[in-house]
Amino acid sequence: MSPFHFDSLIWHWPIAIYLFLAGVSAGAICFAVLLKHFKLGRDAYKSGFVQAACLIAPLAVFAGLGILVIDLTKPFDFWKILLFYNPTSVMSVGVAVLMVYQVALFAWLACVFKEPALSWCSGRWPVVEKLFNAIAKHEATITGFLVMLALSLGAYTGFLLSALTTYPMLNNPVLPLLFLVSGLSSGAAGTLLGGVLLKGNPDGKEVHFIHNIEIPMILVEIVLIFTFFAGLILTGGQSQVAAFTAIGEGFWGWIFWAGIVVVGLSMPLAFNLFMKASSKRKFSYVAITASCSLIGVLLLRNFILYTGQMTVA
Amino acid sequence: MSNSRRLFLKGACAAAVGASGFTIAMARSTTSGDVEPACNYALVHDETKCIGCDACSIACREVNQVPEGVSRLEIEREGPFGEYPNQHFRFTRKSCQHCDDTPCVKVCPTGAAYKDPKTGIVSVDEWKCVGCQYCIAACPYQIRFINPVTKAADKCDFCKETRLKEGQLPACVTACPTKALTFGDITDPQSQVVQVLKSTPSYRSKTDLGTRPKVFRIASQSGEIKL
Repeated sequence: MSPFHFDSLIWHWPIAIYLFLAGVSAGAICFAVLLKHFKLGRDAYKSGFVQAACLIAPLAVFAGLGILVIDLTKPFDFWKILLFYNPTSVMSVGVAVLMVYQVALFAWLACVFKEPALSWCSGRWPVVEKLFNAIAKHEATITGFLVMLALSLGAYTGFLLSALTTYPMLNNPVLPLLFLVSGLSSGAAGTLLGGVLLKGNPDGKEVHFIHNIEIPMILVEIVLIFTFFAGLILTGGQSQVAAFTAIGEGFWGWIFWAGIVVVGLSMPLAFNLFMKASSKRKFSYVAITASCSLIGVLLLRNFILYTGQMTVA
Repeated sequence: MSNSRRLFLKGACAAAVGASGFTIAMARSTTSGDVEPACNYALVHDETKCIGCDACSIACREVNQVPEGVSRLEIEREGPFGEYPNQHFRFTRKSCQHCDDTPCVKVCPTGAAYKDPKTGIVSVDEWKCVGCQYCIAACPYQIRFINPVTKAADKCDFCKETRLKEGQLPACVTACPTKALTFGDITDPQSQVVQVLKSTPSYRSKTDLGTRPKVFRIASQSGEIKL
């Protein structure tokens, strides 16, 4: 069985990229909200990290949706998904969540960047000013809904796969949680990497804040991956076969142990643990740690998608 | 501030409870099969009579104009079992099982995959299908495919749009030289399908998944015994 071509394979790597980008978008905006709410307040827009997260969130979700549309066998008919809804279909519910999420996302961006945007307009278009003020009045509500929608989006990509009874490895209740947590950590990593690239201070309070959340998140991720595979093995039957096919010998076994466990989880965790809370962080440290996390999550999405489709119930 | 936050959380929790209640209610109503079809077509494949001649799959391709490279119906061959001159093969049918509880219909985002309320036949609305391939992934029998001509999901529909429309039996049933296939309405106690099912022990594929397939099989005795 070749790792990228086998009979039961339906969804290829573009779907894994989409699952990754949706997670990054949801995670990045969650961290932007947290940074603004707990650390930066009204000056949030000046921080390179918030700027990075606010760039990543919409771009990632657009890129993901673009990939999704191109991957349809009838890309020009994509509007039918927006017109016809089936409430029992996870995909249909997810499309609805994605649409509302984008509205909330832009409303929140308007609240955060109200000051610089209005000063750039400098009173030339009174309509714009009115619109921004109207949106900013409801900032608290918008923020609350945005966080809920982002968490829904992060979990949705997991539910999309776990609804498939065909594949015992994907039809797993832990999968949505695993995707949500790994999506959040990829969003954190994206925010850190983008932030230092946008000349954010690698030793700033934003980095310390995100790193503090990142360590427990990686630990939770490890526990979830363990639970995921322990559950499959203890279920027995085709679930057990699926688990051993995935994490046993062969190409995907290597991806799992070397790529996900070592590069994606152990290395960022080790970097975080060896780095004392008091010591000064450098650009290279933040960039390398974040890149490891991002690579790990991207590999995790591909690994789950491909190995999940290898074993049929 | 803390008051409005509490109000917001209350509202959010109420919304979450409402949404999950709605989802569960929807799931219940679809699994209990709220619309009882006027008739419910089923097919019996007698593996003891099947000789693996492929007359059925050739007839299917011709009648339904299935393009090369994909197929709605395949006969899978296992064997040979035993030594010359007592050799046996086992033939099993690979085609849509027309599940009563349909995984493909549940996951289709546009409703292009649907169960025909008049006949119980699982069908595809070519126009509504966008080709997301969710139904192909959801089918535990792995029999759906993308039609290279229409770019829509495609599969066996018991010849609903061709032979059945003309009041005739599906192409595979008519073509079978050994009369291994029986087609008919299982809600009608007088139908030939019901007679065959009542007189002969049959099995269905992957019943543990709860899909209630409507392709019944009469097991070939010449297969090997596996644990």
